[in-house]
Amino acid sequence: MTVLSGLARPTASLAVYAVLSVLIVVPFLSFLAMSFFSVDGVTIVRTPTMVNFHRAFTDPVMMTVFGRTVLLCVGIALVTTLIAYPVAVFINGLQGGARYVLLTLVTAPLILSYVMKIYAFRSILGGNGLLNRMLLATGLIDTPSNFFVFNLNAVFLVLVVLLAPFAILPILLSLEKIPASLSEAAADLSAGRWTTFRTVTLPLSRPGIATAVSFTFIMAMGDFVTPQMVGGPNGFTFGRIIYSQFGLAFNWPFGAALGVLMAAVIVVVLALAMRLGRIPGGAGR
Amino acid sequence: MTRSLTVQVCLALTTAFLLMAIYGPISVTVAGAFLPMKGGIIQGFDPSLTAFTKLTADAGLIRSLVVTLAVGAVATMISVVLATALALFTTERGGLHARVVALIVFLPFVMPPMVTGLSLLIFFRDVGIDRSLLTVTIGHVAIILAIAYRGIVVRLTDLGRSLIEASLDLGASRWQTFARVILPNISGSLVASAVLCFALSFDETLITLLLTGTESTFPIKLWGMTRLGITPAANAILAILLAATLAGSALAIWIRQRRSN
Repeated sequence: MTVLSGLARPTASLAVYAVLSVLIVVPFLSFLAMSFFSVDGVTIVRTPTMVNFHRAFTDPVMMTVFGRTVLLCVGIALVTTLIAYPVAVFINGLQGGARYVLLTLVTAPLILSYVMKIYAFRSILGGNGLLNRMLLATGLIDTPSNFFVFNLNAVFLVLVVLLAPFAILPILLSLEKIPASLSEAAADLSAGRWTTFRTVTLPLSRPGIATAVSFTFIMAMGDFVTPQMVGGPNGFTFGRIIYSQFGLAFNWPFGAALGVLMAAVIVVVLALAMRLGRIPGGAGR
Repeated sequence: MTRSLTVQVCLALTTAFLLMAIYGPISVTVAGAFLPMKGGIIQGFDPSLTAFTKLTADAGLIRSLVVTLAVGAVATMISVVLATALALFTTERGGLHARVVALIVFLPFVMPPMVTGLSLLIFFRDVGIDRSLLTVTIGHVAIILAIAYRGIVVRLTDLGRSLIEASLDLGASRWQTFARVILPNISGSLVASAVLCFALSFDETLITLLLTGTESTFPIKLWGMTRLGITPAANAILAILLAATLAGSALAIWIRQRRSN
């Protein structure tokens, strides 16, 4: 049966895979191939070599920045999810108008211009910025602090806040799917509120948590605009280094090799997320 | 089961704190569009709309907006058509085809935008296509295709085969079946996917930054503007975008809730 088989079956397959190859597969393969080339002045030498990967793994600066960036992004992912979870639980418990307003407030930043959000944040950071003045006014600090002034801490703060809505939504979706009857059953069987949360709600929201953690990690890892805008001269991240290889440094093969490393980390994180996202004792999916 | 008051208060406080962190900086910037400001402090109450009127005279900015709308419209159209064809293909063949196509389609979406953007950049250079709005549009298709595909596949799978088989049994041609049975049934998901794709394309920054030639799209223009420092013009843009965004998501959630009721 079918609608497509107006075309002969092999023709349809051929068309599908040809389009996907040109649009997606071949570009990714060119990227991989580029990481094995080298550069001589401004020309790219297309002889396979391991020189880029050798440099990536032996250059102390690269490895330091790489390790620091992975740690930073793991931190961002965990903290963002820890903040997002209670917010999702709160929204899930609401009804009617309040729920509608909060959902709107939480989703609107998702589609608000990314550049503008970082811009807004940058305008309150800075030695004499509003954040510092507020902290001074509340008496939390005595002298203007440089803690959040254009460094990796600023990148951490900005990304946690900007990525939080991306973490709230998947958690909320998984919480919405849990039937109320389950926690009622737990209560009937005389489980306390905490026990019910720990043994019913938390395990059943695992897919949402796994999506939230992996998604925020990937977004943080691949971002070079935020570190560029609030990271200052010393807030170098792996993404920024890769980006610079395609700009000023002009070493595309080396940049591609670093990109392959980043992609490898992300594949590992995705595999972990898929494993951890399974509901324990659930039917596989 | 109701929560204890303490827990409820803690949850509410976390939510309030987060919303403050999200909207605090934004409101300060929005205020800067109307009021004279320095270092986040209002310099006297003298509201004006000069920042907004200046924007309408900025030809470069208007042009970038037009370019972005055009790129978004074309990329969305291509993605939805392509995703529909792919979805028909995979729901029909199933098995290995479905898994391979899904893997390929989701790859650019799951990878960080930088990896996807650089892949396309290298590919375009290899085949000798100069950076332009064409390469930007192709880049946008590569990432938003996943969104369109997911929405349409889910709907097609729900639709099932019996309706299609019935239509074919009753002598409808394949084209008639597509136009009169499948299309009306998936039109909702086509529209929803298109809206989502367009929204993603409109704000796409990282890939566009890598693939664009001399023409700037709106986010790239903003990125250039914001690098110059905090200006009333940029603040005015944020104010407009915030209003549009809040209205857009309020509408989207309203539609979703109305449907589920």
